[in-house]
Amino acid sequence: MRNYLLSTIGYSLILAVFMPAGITEDTTDKPLDVNEIVNRTNQAAYYQGKDGRARVSMVITDSQGRERNRKFTILRRDEPDPADPGNDSYTGDQKSYVYFQRPADVNKMVFMVWKHSDQGTDDDRWLYLPALDLVKRIAGTEKRTSFVGSDFFYEDVTGRNINDDTHELVKTTDNYYVLKNTPKDSGSVEFRDYTIWVHKDTFLPVKIEYFDKNGEKYREYTALGVETIQGFPTVTKASMKNLKTGNETMMSYENVQYDIGLPDDIFTERYLRKPPRKYLR
Amino acid sequence: MKIGGTAVSFAVKSPRTITWLMISSTLILALLAGLPSIWPEAFPFLTPLKVDTDPENMLPEDEPVRVFHNRMKREMALYDMVVLGVVNDANPDGVFNPESLARVYELTEFAKTLRWEDPANPGEFQGVIEADLIAPSTVENIEQAGPGTVKFEWLMESPPYTNEEARAIREKAARIPFLKDTLLSTNGKAVALYIPLTAKNLSYRISQELQKKIDGFEGDEKYFITGLPVAQDTFGVEMFKQMAIAAPAAMLIIFLLMLFFFRKIVLIISPLIVAMVSVIATMSILVITGQTIHIMSSMIPIFIMPIAVLDAVHILSEFFDRYQETKSRRETIYQVMNTLFKPMLYTSLTTSVGFASLALTPIPPVQIFGIYIAIGVMLAWIWTILFIPAFIMLIPSRAFDNFGALHDRREDREIALTVTKAKHRIRSNLSMTWLLAATGRVTFRHARTVLIVAAVGVVVAIFGINRIVINDNPTKWFSPSHPIREADRVLNKHFAGTYMAYLALTGPEENISVERFAETLSARLAARAARVRGELPGAGAVYAALQNEIGRQGKVTSSRELLEELTAFAEKNASDAGFDEMDSWDDALLFIGEEEQRGEIFKQPEVLAYIEGLQKHLLTTGVVGKSNSLTDIVKTVYRELISGEEKDFVIPETAAAVGQSLITYQNSHRPQDLWHFVTPDYRTTVLWIQLKSGDNTDMEKVLASVDGYIAQNPLPAGLEYRWFGLTYINVVWQQKMVAGMLQAFLGSFLIIFLMMTLLYRSALWGMLAMIPLTVTIGLIYGIIGLIGKDYDMPVAVLSSLSLGLAVDYAIHFLSRSRDLYQHYGSWGNAVAAVFGEPARAIARNVIVIGVGFLPLLLAPLVPYQTVGFFIAAILLTAGVATLMIIPALMTVLERLLFPKTKLCCLTCNCATCTVSSIALVAVVAINLRQFFNVGWTALSWWSLTSIVILILICFIMSRRDRCREKIQ
Repeated sequence: MRNYLLSTIGYSLILAVFMPAGITEDTTDKPLDVNEIVNRTNQAAYYQGKDGRARVSMVITDSQGRERNRKFTILRRDEPDPADPGNDSYTGDQKSYVYFQRPADVNKMVFMVWKHSDQGTDDDRWLYLPALDLVKRIAGTEKRTSFVGSDFFYEDVTGRNINDDTHELVKTTDNYYVLKNTPKDSGSVEFRDYTIWVHKDTFLPVKIEYFDKNGEKYREYTALGVETIQGFPTVTKASMKNLKTGNETMMSYENVQYDIGLPDDIFTERYLRKPPRKYLR
Repeated sequence: MKIGGTAVSFAVKSPRTITWLMISSTLILALLAGLPSIWPEAFPFLTPLKVDTDPENMLPEDEPVRVFHNRMKREMALYDMVVLGVVNDANPDGVFNPESLARVYELTEFAKTLRWEDPANPGEFQGVIEADLIAPSTVENIEQAGPGTVKFEWLMESPPYTNEEARAIREKAARIPFLKDTLLSTNGKAVALYIPLTAKNLSYRISQELQKKIDGFEGDEKYFITGLPVAQDTFGVEMFKQMAIAAPAAMLIIFLLMLFFFRKIVLIISPLIVAMVSVIATMSILVITGQTIHIMSSMIPIFIMPIAVLDAVHILSEFFDRYQETKSRRETIYQVMNTLFKPMLYTSLTTSVGFASLALTPIPPVQIFGIYIAIGVMLAWIWTILFIPAFIMLIPSRAFDNFGALHDRREDREIALTVTKAKHRIRSNLSMTWLLAATGRVTFRHARTVLIVAAVGVVVAIFGINRIVINDNPTKWFSPSHPIREADRVLNKHFAGTYMAYLALTGPEENISVERFAETLSARLAARAARVRGELPGAGAVYAALQNEIGRQGKVTSSRELLEELTAFAEKNASDAGFDEMDSWDDALLFIGEEEQRGEIFKQPEVLAYIEGLQKHLLTTGVVGKSNSLTDIVKTVYRELISGEEKDFVIPETAAAVGQSLITYQNSHRPQDLWHFVTPDYRTTVLWIQLKSGDNTDMEKVLASVDGYIAQNPLPAGLEYRWFGLTYINVVWQQKMVAGMLQAFLGSFLIIFLMMTLLYRSALWGMLAMIPLTVTIGLIYGIIGLIGKDYDMPVAVLSSLSLGLAVDYAIHFLSRSRDLYQHYGSWGNAVAAVFGEPARAIARNVIVIGVGFLPLLLAPLVPYQTVGFFIAAILLTAGVATLMIIPALMTVLERLLFPKTKLCCLTCNCATCTVSSIALVAVVAINLRQFFNVGWTALSWWSLTSIVILILICFIMSRRDRCREKIQ
């Protein structure tokens, strides 16, 4: 889903049209500043369009080859730029609504996140469990826990705050910017650092490798399919491998749509028990 | 004796050839085994030394219980674990203070690094499995975080700074049933780290690394390393150290004792050479043939040594007693060998048979052990009859000038003379001689009293045998002061138990055909359609379409495939559907999804409740410290989701609620933890049962208790149950070993009896030969029962040793008695002679070998102590039984044993023929049962028929004309 939340090239094209010439020049002629790459990657990965929707099917394969499936619909809405509501490149707060369909016994389960971009502000997270008729808030301090038993973390789904890491452009290849990211507070995460391969044209992260505190690679994200939808390059298939457990999770995105005009009020506790069926189609 | 005579005269004539033959053959064998072990690359065609210290290998690899154990370990990702306990008794908060927890944290981080590339499989890693490590900083806490909020976090993300924070960690952990009494002790004094390994045989290395790290720590904490794999692996390491000390020590003591008896260093070196050659050759053959050095086979040298020395001691003893009669080495050797050849052949054969019978046990290492000792014994025999005479011939005759007893055995007075001459020298021999002579008189004059005392002994032994407790515990293979035992005691005091057994519950195989499934699916679908028709206007048409689609699925082969096809069909329709039908298609898809989950037995609340009941019952056994199950996880998550209060520590009411609780549980740092308890298809679950001791009796108690509970409370949903785990496997191989040993023992007992009958041409003499052995084994096992010593692996193996050794003395005694009886004409006259030199040989043997094995008592490994103690006890008992009971019986049964008339041949003795026939049939029956698994009922019928026929034959044979001729 990170990938669904990722975004597009069409959008970059729009940018190219509307952006001041100076910036465009920077991207083509001079080597990009590392912060610029990080910002654009964050934008491409999590903030394309004003909102979006996708049906996701997730296959978790363990080291013994046993498979488990999850199916859910994900809705996302970005907070508009307070200074300029029309500016789509704003990467601020964001709300997500994840509605589960499979396995059948978790049908109608909902997971909702209000992501806060301010550093030091925890995200708000809710879980609705229909069989227990229970809405529960999840304390937001721990973001690097498994997303419903998969190898993706919550933070992979909603996006890691770019201010939590220091970034370093390790090298630039023909197709990729290779960034090394080191956490500012190493006590709060399980990795020592991670390396992202950012595609130069789309700014989509194509590969991410995580290294543990002994410097060993233990986790690997790979984008396996990219389609351009409504002009946005979108990762439609991605995998996350946990090299320590030998497990792998594959996510496929279907029916991806952007800018569908999701109202803000469906991302509220009230809608956990009453899913907005209209938007979940 | 003809071949024997030729062999001996060859040895006497060409002693150098024999010596070179022995040395070169042994060297070749040693090289064949040694070279590939030292330079495996240079000799790829030879098998190098292989070591295996895994008691699991007591069972063959394809043994169903092992196959299941390995399959379940793989499926549930359960690994063998090193348990590291950290105890702090000095701090009032126990381990839960910032300093101690900082060390626990550091140790955990260190443990994570204990992995390296597998030398055998480059690219693969071996060592600690970090993902499944259980430690305060690697486990998950789930708890309430304010009203309506649930929190997932590492229990101890980093070491705490304050005492309050440290105590908070303890309180949090104590609320999680999975952690309480497993990760931390209730009093907070102790914390345990469970360190899973890729392979059990790494545990020694890992524990050594941990110990090194611990040695660098300061502070009040004490550290304990245990766990069955550590115990087993450490045992293997200690075993080899032990071999290097115990075997040479035994050799040294035997040497000193022989020196004491025979005084001639050059001479007594020969039995030691024979023993060493036999041990080296046997172990080399073991390696060459590709067998592994196992806990059992490591004891081969210790077993071969006394037996190899035994025959040589007989020869030397005879030689010592006779040399001064002729003063000719050659002459004496011929005499000695003439007397001893037959008894030595038979004693070696019977010993071999005793050990070879172990090949009948169903336990591969025990089979190897038995077969190779049998080989070693025969090798020792060959070199004894060839090399000892050769060796004597190689010694210059002047070296014998003052050698041996000067007495003439026919004139006892001369003994006194000898003694005065060399009083200081053979005082022991004198007292022994006197003691033996007295024994002889007692057995003759008070034969009945001796027999009554023996009978009382046997009755007491039977009483003791009935009290034998069959039990083993690999941890108790270490002496009580060993660090592993100490760790075991401390950790099992603080925690719910470090011994794991697993109970797997599995749903029945779904062997319903696709057609049948499609039928029932249609029925359920129709019912669903009828139910939802009211709410969903389009449902009728949608469900009809789906119904129709089921009918069109002709080619699907499984129910799963059918459901996949239906899902694809419904999804396609759902995406094409108009707004009216959408909800109905969604409902249809949900219905298919529910069908896919129909087999998920372990989400059913009533099944979880059954497990809960079983767990409660397990606690009533008194040996189970705690059990962990899927139910505990569900209840814990449910409690924290609802209120965090004790009243909500219950199983939710519906399967969907269970499913949602479990998916919530998987939102943690360790989602894979769930799959240690249940398979992803929710059709197999595993209960973790923690026992406080690794005693097999405790495990058996749990097994019986669970059987009883399940008999009274039938398992729901057609579930089946099956055990696995090391603690359980130990019970299985023990049971197999006990049963196997008993059959092997019976088999070889009968074979030896047949051999004795053949040797003495009389069933009565055969039985007489079996008596010392029977009494010895009875008494030894009776004592084991009476003193409460567990009947464990070494004790079981000892039965074959006693079989081999105890009969030896009887053979020597009977053979010599028979010869001497003929010489003296009556038992009364022969007794004194029998209790002269033949009895002395037996007594010397008992002392040399019995005492020689007492150094084993100093061993830190209990099985070696057991072996050492019981070898000594067996030899002593067998010696006493031979020297007391046989002469007493001979006194009482003189007329029967020494008939005035003799039958022309064996078959003329109807009784001997009949008894032998029965024994023969029994031997065949036992072997048939062992090898071809023939049922007892069929066997009994066949055996009875054969016995009747054989008795008839015996009867007819003994009535032949030839048998009427009596030989005076």
